[in-house]
Amino acid sequence: MDTLRRSVEQTHDMNMQSPVTVSDPIGVPGIARGSDGRPIIPADPAALYAYAQAIRGTETLLLDLFSKGQLSGTTHTCLGQEFCQMAVVRALRHADDAVLSNHRNHGHFLTYAGDFVGLVAEVMGREAGVCGGRGGSQHMAFRHFHSNGVQAGMTGIAVGLARAREMDGSEGIVAVMIGDGTLGEGLLYESMNLASVWPAPVLFVVEHNGIAQTTETAGTIGGDMLARGAAFGLTTRRVSDADPALWRIAAEAVDEVRATRRPGFLVIDTFRLGPHSKGDDLRTESEIATIRARDPVARLGDSLDSERRAAIDTSVADLIAQVAATAAASSEATDRAFRPSMFPPPTCLSDIAPAPPAPPATTARSVRTALNAAIGELLNDDPRTIVMGEDLHDPYGGAFKVTAGLSQRYAGRVVSTPISEAALTGAAIGLALAGYRPIVEIMFADFLTLCADQIYNHAVKFAGVFPELSVPMVIRTPAGGRRGYGPTHSQSPENIFAAIPGLTVLYGSQRHDNAALLRNAVQHWPYPTLFLEHKLVYGATEDPGRYRPLPAHAKDAGGAAFPTLCRRSATPDAAIVTYGGMVPFVEAAGERLAQEEELDLDILVLALLAPLPRHALIEALFGYDAIVIAEETHSGYGVGAELIACLAESGYRGTIRRVGAPPVPIPSARSLESAVLPGADSVVAAVLDAIAA
Amino acid sequence: MAQPVHAPRVNNNDDVVKVARICVQVGDAVAAGDLLMELETEKATVDVEAESDGYVLAVACEQGQDIAVGAVALWLGATPDEAPPQASAGPVTMVADSGMTAKARLLLRRHALSAGAVPRTAARLTAADVEAYLALHPPAASSAPTPRRSSIELPAPAETSPLSSTARGMLATVTWQRDHAAAAYLELEYDPRPWEAAAAAFMRERRLLFSPLLSLMAHRLAQFAHNAGANATVLEGETAQLVRYKQANLGFTVQAGEVLYFCVVNAADTLAASDFVHKLFYLQRRAMGHNLTSAEMRGATIGFTSMARWGVRRHQPVLAPNTGVMIAHSASAPDGESAILGMTYDHRLLSGFDAVRLLKTLTQPGSY
Ligand SMILES: Cc1ncc(C[n+]2csc(CCOP(=O)(O)OP(=O)(O)O)c2C)c(N)n1
Ligand SMILES: [Mg+2]
Repeated sequence: MDTLRRSVEQTHDMNMQSPVTVSDPIGVPGIARGSDGRPIIPADPAALYAYAQAIRGTETLLLDLFSKGQLSGTTHTCLGQEFCQMAVVRALRHADDAVLSNHRNHGHFLTYAGDFVGLVAEVMGREAGVCGGRGGSQHMAFRHFHSNGVQAGMTGIAVGLARAREMDGSEGIVAVMIGDGTLGEGLLYESMNLASVWPAPVLFVVEHNGIAQTTETAGTIGGDMLARGAAFGLTTRRVSDADPALWRIAAEAVDEVRATRRPGFLVIDTFRLGPHSKGDDLRTESEIATIRARDPVARLGDSLDSERRAAIDTSVADLIAQVAATAAASSEATDRAFRPSMFPPPTCLSDIAPAPPAPPATTARSVRTALNAAIGELLNDDPRTIVMGEDLHDPYGGAFKVTAGLSQRYAGRVVSTPISEAALTGAAIGLALAGYRPIVEIMFADFLTLCADQIYNHAVKFAGVFPELSVPMVIRTPAGGRRGYGPTHSQSPENIFAAIPGLTVLYGSQRHDNAALLRNAVQHWPYPTLFLEHKLVYGATEDPGRYRPLPAHAKDAGGAAFPTLCRRSATPDAAIVTYGGMVPFVEAAGERLAQEEELDLDILVLALLAPLPRHALIEALFGYDAIVIAEETHSGYGVGAELIACLAESGYRGTIRRVGAPPVPIPSARSLESAVLPGADSVVAAVLDAIAA
Repeated sequence: MAQPVHAPRVNNNDDVVKVARICVQVGDAVAAGDLLMELETEKATVDVEAESDGYVLAVACEQGQDIAVGAVALWLGATPDEAPPQASAGPVTMVADSGMTAKARLLLRRHALSAGAVPRTAARLTAADVEAYLALHPPAASSAPTPRRSSIELPAPAETSPLSSTARGMLATVTWQRDHAAAAYLELEYDPRPWEAAAAAFMRERRLLFSPLLSLMAHRLAQFAHNAGANATVLEGETAQLVRYKQANLGFTVQAGEVLYFCVVNAADTLAASDFVHKLFYLQRRAMGHNLTSAEMRGATIGFTSMARWGVRRHQPVLAPNTGVMIAHSASAPDGESAILGMTYDHRLLSGFDAVRLLKTLTQPGSY
């Protein structure tokens, strides 16, 4: 306690020199704020006690409001863990320091932001909520503070944010908070490894409360906790929140990461006093009583002069009453900011340069060469461009050679990574949030499912929940079959990803100007984007042929930047809509139908699969008596299905047929594979069937 | 036995190779190591050589063609007269009824004909067969044009051919007017200057690069046609029915080279003047580029046409199928002080008085 007192005095002295008294927002009495508005909590017993009591009072208020039916949704309190939650965050004083937290984040948030009304109003669903009611208890954002309710989901993002600080030459670091139960999540280990090999200044903080929801973690954590950090080359520390050394050790962990620019691993032993969420606690009264007896906040209170303590308790009670009244006075969150789509109009069309037409035949080049050139230009023109993926380095240049020659020319910005698709995607999100323009290569599109949580629960959620944020990142990946790679290296998973709200899904073809598509996606499109490239198309020569861009419709986000191409005939009998690797098969079918059946077909080649340019497509397709949609992937629940639904909703009465693979694994043997994947024959049959109907 | 020569894999990631040069012909004798063909990819060129002595039996690719890696590029044999194996069953033909092309079947269905009635010029019945038959035996179905003459007595030796699609469209139009509408025509002389002034002002204010005169006149027609009773038609069945359209789709003629298009602005009555002007301009541009979709030419309920471009001073237009009115704009008199606005209308809908009232409205500009 002596050391504590001494450091307290020093901090006090420092604060005396630059006191910032803040009357607004409502804060803990006696706690000053820095010029950035963040509370400065000295390591002085009275101040620590007061702050922890304020956090406790706020959370008690939330539970109280829940029990009175004043709140809905969920909340996870850090009752009993206040010191544990304060220790690292209060030591993060650099303006660029970031905190990524989880479901149990109130202590972190209040220590970082000091915004008590913002928190309570947010959980109450009021206008004054720090995120306007969109996030709620688990999804808070304030400056460099972000939380998300998916366990370990933020760890890869933390590595990306930290890497960005490193590249910016900033001294800022990132702390990412997880519970001990989350030691079971695989992404955590990908992230720790990535942070170690890059390296990135991230502090992984494990709040070891011995329990995960209702499960005792003694039965779920194999081996040694600290050894996990050490195994990845992280410096490790462990301290109890009842130990007065907590504050010093937490600060040392922070300082070391800041100084070495390498990741650290800190375990804080603590105990959860309250339920997991609201009423879910299976522990016995006597267990709780033991935890209450060691409660470090109460014990620190005991050590204070009783008058002093009473005065603090009274002022905290006043604070909470004031917070409750202010939050309640705020009106219910309205849908003022409600958007029917995550692609708001200002960025959707007019300010994006439409992709110029593909280069004339004199500059004929393969799709691979076009993509390689485009990535080279992006790296050259914009220092924010970062390319990451497995085996990208020269002389290998990526599994499909799309990055050939680039790692030598742009050393440090074309990065070969560990085999960690999820962490890589997370890191890209972090880099994008920090202002970079990451391009991730996933070696085979089949592995996108490993990135799925990062895309579905993170990349698209930042801008969706916090409109002032954007995540401009592009994930490129080779997709499709016909190379005999078998069931897990041949798929086209656009169906799965086109269904994710807020994710843009692009699929080029040899008829498209692929360089322009990629450039628009990376530089002009501020949304997370999946950029699919068919493996067979890489070697094909880019050639627009007789295709012309379909006029974009003002209501279709991205319609101009990622045009649908259309090849018309004079008197069409039907239209075929297709994309990606199906294009050559559809064209071959068109030729056969013209020669053998005298049928004239118009062909539409999509590039933008999601958000579907539905207005332009409906307008273009409405006049045909018969429409065939040809996809290489299984057609159930797919892009074609969506287009057909749009046509049906708009009153289309013609005949429609779908061509796609059956919902079975794609076999490896050439003969079996070609029996599963649709070819020109299937397209011919579908057109004839549609026309005969 | 015939030996296949396969297209080799040149690069790991290229599944097709281009045939740069074929150096042999069918019948050539080759020795092991002789150059058969050159293949190339973006990165490399490779020579394909004969592995043994023999004769070229067949060449299964063409110079300049992209062929799949692993595909048979040519066949060699020990003697020059061996037969290369037949390509394994080619693409399955999916035709349900191979007695006719799908297009021929479409046409038969469209004109309610049976295949047996139409003489064929080849093994499979073709679209040309059906069209030739139709030219000589116009179907009586009400949806199709019904020319009067059913038997042909040609006054002189002649060659017949199917009508072009444009001519077919025109035929449908005139036969609808002839067989269904009660077309009547009237015209008014008016002072075109107020209209020209209004159009010039509109052009200046909206910074247009083209004169909106005709578009504004057409827009005015769309505004007034409905209340005038002209946005309608009559269906003559057992009991005749008046059909009043719920929106005015304005058809506008565009001559693009040899082809006359009738492009349609849907729900023109609901559009503000400037939106209408832009929509119509867009359609005109597409028509000039021959890019109109069939949807953009379908569904007119009223029509507008102008022959002012060619200096025509008055003309009597034909009603488009199922429309109630067609306005005819013409060139002004040389002094510019008078012009004639004509109108063909369906007398089943409008009396002469109704028609004059509507036409009079159109001779004066609205306020924009
Ligand atoms: C990926 C994922 N799985 C499950 C959950 C549901 N869940 C929320 S909190 C929690 C327990 C987390 O335990 P721990 O990591 O120890 O953190 P603590 O709650 O103890 O702070 C669980 C299972 C979740 N939010 N995310
Ligand atoms: Mg826990």
